[in-house]
Amino acid sequence: MNLINLKQVTKRYINGADCVTALHEVSLNVDEGTFLGVMGPSGSGKSTLLSALGGLTSPSSGTVNIDGIDVYGLSHEKQADFRREYLGFIFQSHNLIPYLNALENVMLPLVVTKLSSTEKRQRASSMLEKVGLPDRMLHLPQQLSGGEQERVAIARSLVNNPPLLLADEPTGSLDSATSLQVMNLLAELHQGGQTIVMVTHNRENLEWVDRTVYLRDGLIEKDTIGGSIGTLPQAM
Amino acid sequence: MHNLRRRKGRAIFLVVGLLIGVATVVTLLSLTDALGMRAQHELEKFGANIIITPHSEQMALSYGGVQLAGVNLVAEELQQSSLVNIDSIPNRRNIAMIAPKVLGAIDVKGQRAMLMGVDPEVEFKLKRWWSIAGRHVQQGPELVVGDTVARRFNLTMGDTLEISGQNFTVVGLLDKTGSQDDHLLITPLPVAQEVLGKQGLVSMVEIAALCHDCPVADMVNQLQQVLPGVDVQAVQQVVKTRMHALGQFRLLAWGVAVTVVIIGALLVFVTMMGAISERTREIGIFRAIGYRRRHVLHLVLMEAAIVSAVAGVLGYLTGVLATLTALPLLDGGEIHWQWNPTLAVAAVFAAVLVGLLASLQPALRASRLEPNEALRAL
Repeated sequence: MNLINLKQVTKRYINGADCVTALHEVSLNVDEGTFLGVMGPSGSGKSTLLSALGGLTSPSSGTVNIDGIDVYGLSHEKQADFRREYLGFIFQSHNLIPYLNALENVMLPLVVTKLSSTEKRQRASSMLEKVGLPDRMLHLPQQLSGGEQERVAIARSLVNNPPLLLADEPTGSLDSATSLQVMNLLAELHQGGQTIVMVTHNRENLEWVDRTVYLRDGLIEKDTIGGSIGTLPQAM
Repeated sequence: MHNLRRRKGRAIFLVVGLLIGVATVVTLLSLTDALGMRAQHELEKFGANIIITPHSEQMALSYGGVQLAGVNLVAEELQQSSLVNIDSIPNRRNIAMIAPKVLGAIDVKGQRAMLMGVDPEVEFKLKRWWSIAGRHVQQGPELVVGDTVARRFNLTMGDTLEISGQNFTVVGLLDKTGSQDDHLLITPLPVAQEVLGKQGLVSMVEIAALCHDCPVADMVNQLQQVLPGVDVQAVQQVVKTRMHALGQFRLLAWGVAVTVVIIGALLVFVTMMGAISERTREIGIFRAIGYRRRHVLHLVLMEAAIVSAVAGVLGYLTGVLATLTALPLLDGGEIHWQWNPTLAVAAVFAAVLVGLLASLQPALRASRLEPNEALRAL
């Protein structure tokens, strides 16, 4: 069953007289439970695609449906609700709030829900346990290693039990050993049935995905099963 | 709260900025209030502010700046018994003292002099500025003698003076007042009524009304109604002059207060705008993970409200401290500060209101940030 359904999505950025087409009539269906890798050179439209999926960038034309919901047909406030209920974001640079400890960072998406304080705390702490940080809950981000920060970010993205996880370069700022830990964690989530769309530059990360799309100049150049996309261009 | 703790410098800057504004306003308003109370106190010390005299078409004698009906000519007097009606006016609770007096010309050592009969219990309290060597008259034929008349008849303490065949003892000498009082021989009311042949009559009544807020003009009308055929006049000139000066000061105080509040509001506005710019990425995260615009608005305004409330409380306390420091320097330290709960509540409320209003635009700006634009991460 399709969880993601993009129909002829075009996104143009207009800056004065300049017009850049980041996505050009991209159509994409992704089944529930898929771990999709998105690769491509800089400026190929990877981030724009992820933004469009995340209800963060309104396409110039085309439609984005997630779980049957026309994301950009929703009002701004409903889009916010949609992001909270359907999506989990893992940002490239963790994007943790520096003055909140790990537990509070993970609780952030729950703050605006109607759950009781105890339940919010319980859910956040169990999520931190799940990502292997039961003893780091009260640490501030700067007291955590890069890998730990990434795991806090993953815990935060999952605390609402979203059907779709969007990850932007989740290992971009990590060493290879830590990257491996993070990718194993994502793989574990995937095995648990989590749908994941991951933008990555790192070809090694594709070992864990079960489908890969390769973008170039706003178009899907390749769409392959598994992590194999053949010989990659030098421009990457 | 976490954000405020993390950005202590900015929070302290905001609190101090607003605190100075609130403290200035509280100080100015407290001083104005204290000066107002002082003016009122002086007004009460000043004595009567309403004078009742018999109605007369003729101009005869001036006393206390008020024209009296001919006390030394043929004129109607007030019936002393009618004065009980004064107690029936609606504003009777505002009446502090009723001082009836009878006035009449007498012969002393072959010369004309003015005798005034007073209610000793009331009169000497009313005329607090009178400085008397000796004592007040109490009862019987006793005299307190005005400075001019004492010199004229060469009277000293303990002297006896014959008036209408009755011997009066001088028990007090009134220091020079520079007013008509210097020409008076003052004796208890019943004695004077008997000497002047005006039993049961009074020439005038002075009333001290404690009217901080009550309308003296209304009381004059009420007295006029219960005492038909008399003239009731309010002595308001001094009060009005003082109140006018105070009004000018109050106006100035409000002018300064409003200016300071505007500066405070601008300070909050600029600081909050800076804070929002600094927190753009953070707001982007909030929006990306599903915070609605109103959630962001609420976050920013909540911070502003907390900072403003702290500034309001500290500003009020600083204002009170400044007032207590400034008061002894004013008017010889005779003015006393009184706690005004309304001002305390209003100060905190106004600080929060100013903080919120000044933060509204930055908060709206924050809430309107598009998550992707704010993040620039995806």
